[in-house]
Amino acid sequence: MSVSTSSGPQVETNPRGIPRAPFVSNVEEYLDGTDSSVESTLNKFQEMIAKYRYMELNVQNRRKGLDEKIPDIAKTLAMVEFLKDRREKKLGKSVKKDDEDELEDDLDDDEDQAADEAPLTTTFELNDTLYAEAVIEESDLVYLWLGANVMLAYPLDEAQALLSSKLAGAQQSRSNAVEDLEWLREQITVMEVNLARVYNWDVRRRREAKAKGIEEGHEV
Amino acid sequence: MSQQPAQTISVTDLDLPQLQDVKRQLDEELTHLTNSFAQLKQAHSKFKTCLDCVKEVRPGNARKTILVPLSSSLYVNGKLSNPEKVLIDVGTGYYVSKTRDQASVHYQQKIEFVENNLKTVQAAVEKKQENLNMVIQVIQMRVGQAAQAPKER
Repeated sequence: MSVSTSSGPQVETNPRGIPRAPFVSNVEEYLDGTDSSVESTLNKFQEMIAKYRYMELNVQNRRKGLDEKIPDIAKTLAMVEFLKDRREKKLGKSVKKDDEDELEDDLDDDEDQAADEAPLTTTFELNDTLYAEAVIEESDLVYLWLGANVMLAYPLDEAQALLSSKLAGAQQSRSNAVEDLEWLREQITVMEVNLARVYNWDVRRRREAKAKGIEEGHEV
Repeated sequence: MSQQPAQTISVTDLDLPQLQDVKRQLDEELTHLTNSFAQLKQAHSKFKTCLDCVKEVRPGNARKTILVPLSSSLYVNGKLSNPEKVLIDVGTGYYVSKTRDQASVHYQQKIEFVENNLKTVQAAVEKKQENLNMVIQVIQMRVGQAAQAPKER
């Protein structure tokens, strides 16, 4: 979207490439006083405002989508970390048991041990109003649903890394979207102010021309 | 659902604007009833799938490995620990643990209740449709009459 300003051919953009709206400080200088140029300028401004509004709508939708996705990713990540902790504790205990068999057993927290060694039972969702109980097998693999009918098996570490990077990316996109929205709001306001100023200047000009015309008519 | 008194739509009773009002009102009611019908159908199919799911949770499957969802995109291998009992959300934040047979009965009752409602709504929709058609006919007659009258003059 190119805007003819006196500041040269380069138009300032924000980090995502949304161009800055130029502020017309001197309306008279910007136009050359004919009706047609005023018309075309008003139309141009209207067009730009419409484009900005369309962009704003897109960015708002993008932000809403991210708002929904981010808590899901956070929850999944928390679950993976929980599973990883459990597994590490289990593996840690079995390694320790091999080395220092009789010594540590009494010192260990018995309840903690029992809770960690008992199989993990969970109530999971079969359907909207229907839940069932299941026992989770110990394994290093978790399955991640990546969308588009794709599900992959990952070892716990890779799953954690993948989910962390996804979460970070989503949060970054969201903050970008919020920044874009603010920028767009600013540009829309500038354009609306421009539109109002050009329109008012034109009204004033017509009024003055009419008054002068009547004066000259009287003189004659 | 309020029952309207028997509609006797005679040509002489109502004039054109009133007929159009009646038509608009019938249109609105018809849309509303059709939406309700669609929602009931959704609920009906949902309960049906729940019934099927309950049937799947049977002792025969207890030894098989299943993918247990831990979140909306995380699944883990696991086995059914208690194939006899399932947990049902009965609304208002209450969850009831039932045996499979009790759960089947429960869902069957819900399905029948929804089916009855479906029938009632369908009957109401048909009646409204009839009324709407009659009103449209009368409107067309009226418009025809009004077009003829100026010609005669």
